[in-house]
Amino acid sequence: MHNRGPRRVGGCLEEIIFLSALDKPVLIIGGGVAGLAAALELDRRGLASLVVEKGPNLGGQARGFCCKALEVCARCGACRVGDLLQQAAQRPALGALTQALAVAAQRQGAGWEVTLIPQEGPKPTSPALALERPLGERLLVQTGAVILAVGHQVFDARKKSRLGYGRVPGVMTAGELEETLAKGGLPGQARRLAFVQCVGSRDQALGRLYCSRVCCGFALRLARLARYLEPGSEVTFFHMDVQDYGQAWRAELAEMRAGMRFIRAIPGEVRPGAGGPLAVFAGPDGQPQEEEFDLVVLATGLEPPVAAPALSEMFGLTPGAEGFLTGGQGVLVAGSAGGPRSIAESIESAAQAAASAAEHLVSGQAPSPEVAHA
Amino acid sequence: MPRPTLCWVAAPGLEGLEPPALAMAAGLDLDQGGALEAAVVTVPEVQAPDKLRARLLGRPVQWLDLAAELGGGGEGHRGQRAAAALSRAAGRASLGTLPPLYSPQPNQRVLVAGQGLAALAAARQAALLGHPVLWALSGDDPAAAGAGEDASQVAGLAAGLPEGIELAPQTELTNLTGAGGSFTAWLKGPQGTARQRFGAVALAPGGAYRAEPAPPGLAPDLSRPLSACQPASLASAQGWRQVAILAGVGQPATAQGFARALATAYALQAQPGVQVTLLFREALVAAPQGERLYRQARQAGVLMARLGDGEPRLADQGRTLVWQDQVLAEDLELAPDVVFLCEETGAPWPGFLDNNLLWPARSRLLPEHARLDGGRTARAGFYVLGALRGTPAGEDRLAEAAAAVHDLHDLLGGGAAPLPAVRTLTCARCLTCVRVCPHGVPEHVEDHIQPAPAACLACGICAAECPAHAIAPPGWSTAELMEGLACGLAAAPAPAMVLMACGQSAMPAFAELSRSGHVWPAGLLVLPLKCAGRVGLELILRVLSLGAEGVLVAGCHEGMCRSVTGNLRARLATGQAAGTLSDLGLGPEAVSFLHMANNQPQALAKAVEAMYARLGAVE
Repeated sequence: MHNRGPRRVGGCLEEIIFLSALDKPVLIIGGGVAGLAAALELDRRGLASLVVEKGPNLGGQARGFCCKALEVCARCGACRVGDLLQQAAQRPALGALTQALAVAAQRQGAGWEVTLIPQEGPKPTSPALALERPLGERLLVQTGAVILAVGHQVFDARKKSRLGYGRVPGVMTAGELEETLAKGGLPGQARRLAFVQCVGSRDQALGRLYCSRVCCGFALRLARLARYLEPGSEVTFFHMDVQDYGQAWRAELAEMRAGMRFIRAIPGEVRPGAGGPLAVFAGPDGQPQEEEFDLVVLATGLEPPVAAPALSEMFGLTPGAEGFLTGGQGVLVAGSAGGPRSIAESIESAAQAAASAAEHLVSGQAPSPEVAHA
Repeated sequence: MPRPTLCWVAAPGLEGLEPPALAMAAGLDLDQGGALEAAVVTVPEVQAPDKLRARLLGRPVQWLDLAAELGGGGEGHRGQRAAAALSRAAGRASLGTLPPLYSPQPNQRVLVAGQGLAALAAARQAALLGHPVLWALSGDDPAAAGAGEDASQVAGLAAGLPEGIELAPQTELTNLTGAGGSFTAWLKGPQGTARQRFGAVALAPGGAYRAEPAPPGLAPDLSRPLSACQPASLASAQGWRQVAILAGVGQPATAQGFARALATAYALQAQPGVQVTLLFREALVAAPQGERLYRQARQAGVLMARLGDGEPRLADQGRTLVWQDQVLAEDLELAPDVVFLCEETGAPWPGFLDNNLLWPARSRLLPEHARLDGGRTARAGFYVLGALRGTPAGEDRLAEAAAAVHDLHDLLGGGAAPLPAVRTLTCARCLTCVRVCPHGVPEHVEDHIQPAPAACLACGICAAECPAHAIAPPGWSTAELMEGLACGLAAAPAPAMVLMACGQSAMPAFAELSRSGHVWPAGLLVLPLKCAGRVGLELILRVLSLGAEGVLVAGCHEGMCRSVTGNLRARLATGQAAGTLSDLGLGPEAVSFLHMANNQPQALAKAVEAMYARLGAVE
């Protein structure tokens, strides 16, 4: 699938893939939504690419998301991952290696030489697609441009220990609820649901002075789906502000406001109660108030990817706003690695990364490095 | 009729099957490496070895994804299912029809109409990809920024314009017809109106600010739009003491508008002797730096007044704002010297798009749709960018323009589906296809139907709706589908049922279940389709007449169909078929429709099981 040739490096023979030749010019690190989209956008431009993914499956975190449609599509974008995988499978110029980790990079002219090593990882969660080929041995890749599409990390709710996650039974993250719903159905007899927003976002104490942007839409759609699956259930939505997602969303939001209880306060504490987790929050008069729920769902925010410092160092990048990645010469950033982005926004940002990478290949100089979006 | 040969390409999921026995069961010869008339291959074209592809060039071939159709189960069970699937493909291959040889020559020129970042980025990228670009500017200066855009970013991008962009200053797009590869545009410039042909069109007006409505009854001399607050005319010069800024009070704001209001509030508060009050309903802090701006403004002393529903009220001849504080539950009053109104950028919807004979309604051309991103509209080759679409200024507009250009480059470079074939002799010129095609492909030209060369997505709605059977996507005509299904159903054990599976939702989910070893009923035959829109009433009834005892049509959720109406048409056809069955005294439950997404395999498995259980009960 690539031009291959052995080369002697430091006394031992290594396999080397030449991507700097015109047919495979771009290396994409990360095989999630943004990485796949970047590969497709490059392919539409007539440029081939190689996607390297450290996990066993392509599709990234979004592959585990559930469809949030009731009868009508909720435009959450979760199924776009399936679309991308399907489109990628139909394009022969697009290559992908799974269980491959980029560990070193060296500038070479206007391009890069990147070292990949096989990554022992968890077993694949879904049966392998024809596209997913695990990396077998250490590889050196020469490439004209690199797109970093390593995604984001989800805030660890244990760091907000007063909210009871990992301590109080019945407290889970929105990501866990999503997984449960993807498998079909609410856990147990969850009749009284509480959603707590901004866990790890907009938080001065944590030094996170940014909005994660996607959680309001994501959590409210999950809440609506939960109510639909369990018709008698009551939803309380603890929030600071409800963010805006456009015209159609506003109409949906009006319906949600009519069907759920919106409380403009974030609980200060969640502790075990007699019949489920007990949330303590400021009531409308500012006085503390307690209420028991069956399930408390924490909408955890988006954090910079774990690999951000290592990648910044590897490619000589200056850290971006809030710790997310920014691009540099011949290095472009796509998707939520550059700042909190929804699935749709990640796909679009990949188009820009692909266009900039293509321009860099022509001029040997990226036109405008991606500005972090946080 | 050519006798098709089975080319067995081993793939994961096909283990344990015996090609010779299956070939015999399906009435196929097994490939021995000799000459071939027609072929059935067990894997999709991209997965086939190059040598095989070269051998099959120019022959009628059915590329199956057999592993995706098969699923798990015992060897005998899988063999039975494989034989039925191969029979279906054999039936189609034996017709010997080739994809029509055609040489579509999509026009490669790109029209960019508008001004500002989105137009500039689109023109630039299209030219870099080698398309001749005509950029119809509303003004004179290609470096002019649209409302809310960073002038230095626009100027920087405009400084290095690539070759191949022809500028048409002061030119307006007044009318447009056609679709991908063949648009006709009427351009009104200083020299009058000219008609020109293009392969793709991107509409990207620069946009203007629109202030939110002032609270009814506010003294008119008090209010002004936010953009009127220029640094030169700042508070001290005006003698303002109390300044109110309304952000999202008269109508919902966006994160970008709110961020501008915050920035203005912060700047005014820094003026000596000025107190700013920001009135809003929700703090929309999702824009870049939004949360930091919000905190910064609050720390600088801007009073944050959060309003409930319906407020504020006015007193003192419209000179005092009154609202209830949500925490204190008391009325607060403010008599401001000036009231700034938050602004959003937008652009007017061009008049020619309101022509309902040539263009679908806005809700069908540009619905809020998870699959129509990157500037795309339902009309292939026609893009709506920037302010007109409501995309925030900055990087988002660049990304959107890049995605749109990649899409048009792909379409014009042969990425669109082969043209639907129109049999002119049977065509009644009823214009049904023109009416139903969501992508604007068929055009009525000089008394015949001519498909646009780079716009078809092969949804097949035209073929399903054409009353004269005159139009068909290549390889997907009713005759071909029926021949395959007849052979497949003959080989499928009773009770047989057919799943008509949309390629965007049901088929990927079906393939995933098959790969993970889900055991499908022996008599279940899959008909993979590009879009559920290909299913019409006729197809369902004919499949039932062939002996299928049940038909399940599975398409996307409402609002998710790539071809906008394909799923709704399929659902309608399913309902009509059920009605027909019940009129005939037969069980309407033999047909049903399922809305699903490609990440809901369990819903599909459940629906198949439910229908199969019903068939068993009827038996």
